[in-house]
Amino acid sequence: MERNHRFIIGAAIIVVAVAYLVYTGIRETSVYYLTIDEFLARREAVAGEGLRVAGRVASKSMDWNPATLDLKFRLANFEENDGVDVAYNGVLPDMFAEGRDVIVEGTYVGGESFHARTLLTACPSKYEAEVAKN
Amino acid sequence: MVEIGVLALRLALIGGLYAILTAIWGAQARRPALVRSSRSAAYVVHALVATSALVLLRALIIRDFSLEYVASYSSSTLSLPYTIAALWGGQAGSLLFWALILTCMSTMVHLQNRERNAALMPYVTATLMTITVFFLALLVFVTGPFERLPVPASEGADLNPLLQNYWMMIHPPSLYLGYVGCSIPFAFAVAALATGRLGDVWIRTTRRWTLFAWFFLTVGNILGARWAYEELGWGGYWAWDPVENAAFMPWLSCTAFLHSVMIQEKKNMLKMWNMVLVLLTFCLTIFGTFLTRSGVVSSVHSFTQSGLGPFFVVFLLTIIVIVVGLVTWRRDLLRGENEIDSFLSREAAFLFNNLLLIGIAFATFWGTIFPVISEAVRGIKITVGPPFFNKVNAPLGLALLFMTGVGPVIAWRRASARNLRRSFIVPLALGFVTGVVIFAAGWRNYYAVVCFSLSSFVLATIFMEFYRGTRARQALMGEPAPRALANLIGKNRRRYGGYVIHVGIVMAFVGVAASSAFRLEEQKTIHKGDTVQVGAFTLTYKDIHFTDVAHYSSMLAEIEVKKNGASVATMFPEKRFYKKQQQPTTEVALRSTLIEDLYLVLGSYDDKSGLMTLIVFVNPLVNWLWIGGMVMVLGTVIVMSPTAAEQRALVAALAVEERGLEAALR
Repeated sequence: MERNHRFIIGAAIIVVAVAYLVYTGIRETSVYYLTIDEFLARREAVAGEGLRVAGRVASKSMDWNPATLDLKFRLANFEENDGVDVAYNGVLPDMFAEGRDVIVEGTYVGGESFHARTLLTACPSKYEAEVAKN
Repeated sequence: MVEIGVLALRLALIGGLYAILTAIWGAQARRPALVRSSRSAAYVVHALVATSALVLLRALIIRDFSLEYVASYSSSTLSLPYTIAALWGGQAGSLLFWALILTCMSTMVHLQNRERNAALMPYVTATLMTITVFFLALLVFVTGPFERLPVPASEGADLNPLLQNYWMMIHPPSLYLGYVGCSIPFAFAVAALATGRLGDVWIRTTRRWTLFAWFFLTVGNILGARWAYEELGWGGYWAWDPVENAAFMPWLSCTAFLHSVMIQEKKNMLKMWNMVLVLLTFCLTIFGTFLTRSGVVSSVHSFTQSGLGPFFVVFLLTIIVIVVGLVTWRRDLLRGENEIDSFLSREAAFLFNNLLLIGIAFATFWGTIFPVISEAVRGIKITVGPPFFNKVNAPLGLALLFMTGVGPVIAWRRASARNLRRSFIVPLALGFVTGVVIFAAGWRNYYAVVCFSLSSFVLATIFMEFYRGTRARQALMGEPAPRALANLIGKNRRRYGGYVIHVGIVMAFVGVAASSAFRLEEQKTIHKGDTVQVGAFTLTYKDIHFTDVAHYSSMLAEIEVKKNGASVATMFPEKRFYKKQQQPTTEVALRSTLIEDLYLVLGSYDDKSGLMTLIVFVNPLVNWLWIGGMVMVLGTVIVMSPTAAEQRALVAALAVEERGLEAALR
């Protein structure tokens, strides 16, 4: 019986270690994941926090300087009647274009301004394609 | 022609249901004729699914754009290999492909076991056919591969350009073989639970199938990583995306099972644990399919809502309820007969290895579904990215690497001081020296230092095993060293094949650790003639070229590469523009050596200013990840190659069970 106890302790140490790593990992690395509507509704509350916001690149809002790699665009809701201005520096992802759904990762610094560190484009999945209509 | 495909699917669905009913009824009522009939039905289902797949393949090849599927995933300019790959490039096609592999394996299992496992087989048939019926029902009622367009398209939308890569040709089939392969041990586990025959037989019968599934899961994961590395252009190979995690988790639990099952074979312990691992592995394959199809968890791959999610949830929950019920019902028969004696024993080492593997799987699972959970509990989606997975899994992975060195050489039951000294003093010393030397050399990334130190420890234990075994054969048999080594491996394939796999694992660890700890990254926007300096490399932007073919147009930057001043290569990172999808893609230029990879991406090019943005990655030792993968393949082939001894063990196990049964009847 005592042997078994020792094993339960040994196994428990691993289980606790995994739980601890998962717990601290989530505390230290998690970011809020909001849709653009959720973000717009509570933007002041989440200012300065790590954020991921999913929205749409508003049409005719893209300002891209290929020399400095500065990108500005408006991340809008689907109706394109509200949004936030996003500033990003870096290479454009292949799928990035006006009217596309994107996820921006970064911080909201207040006012109309969101600083994006990463741009993720939701690539049209292989399971979904638009059929060429003729 | 197309009607034949539709009809074949419907008939296959009916045939599958018939097979389930006759198999269970035949087993319960002890009517062998019914059981035989269910087996024949399973063969017929296979033939029907194959017919349907051929019809779809034909439609793709003759470019029948009146079919929605063909028009969505191929085009008239798509080359033949990718046209064939379009068979599994889309939703409905991939489900059909899945059903095809599953029924094909079901046929193989039935042929293998015509004369064997008469008690288990009806339930195996029923289980496999249940899974088949689920996929067929999706194909018949929800997402048909043979839907016609209202107006035939004149041209197809083409296969997603990201999938037009040779790794993508073999990555999905490999992963499917792995996923579907997990159904076979699962089916035998269910049959063992249903019949109460929970001895050695079902495990020995499915051992090769489990290895087969593990093999393809391994290959599938590595190919997927390789594809991401070459095609996605961000310089890495693994992003902890839900889709990647979906393939990684069953691999982990399958690995755990392959290890703990040895304890059951040798010591008749951990029966319950093994059963749980087999069932868990299968559930994780279904869960993984669900993840990639449902859009529940947002992935960079963004597998949008396809409406299949709820079906998978219901199927998965049904399976879980059934197997939990079966396990609870049979819990008394799943008690092991022995206990672990000592912490310092192989049994204990394997147990800890299992806990670590499942710990990694759990952490990965938790991180993957955390957004869903946090939304349900707190009403707000909180997501974790790669930092979470790296932070949690890196220490667990290193502990696992340590166990890789300990497990195979520590003695069974209770290790003596002599065994420990003999097996571990030299490797531990070597590992320690490695750590001290690289630390003194100025490495300050502690994960990398520990990883390299542990790697040399593990390699030393394995090398000593080979060395001692060879020497022993030389002394005992008088064989010359090369022959002794070959015989050593040939006569103990499981053991030494396993060591070879471990060498591959160590190589992969080394590649991952070095390329994550010491990677260099640089991004510069430059004019023609400008240079970029990254590490030892000097890169000069010479020129830009434009080409145009039917399928896509492209631009290639010509980059002259010098290393420490000496010219070593000219590289051409490329940006393609696929015309059908109006989509640019990145074609990486890669110069790969055993020391490091130089990885160039043409970020963007501006016509007006002539400015080109070049992204440069230097990934040290990353090649060892792929080499490690190949070594793992080699090792698995050694382990899987059949030996007479193993056949005898299976026959003996079957005989023991028959005798036990006769005794019980008397």
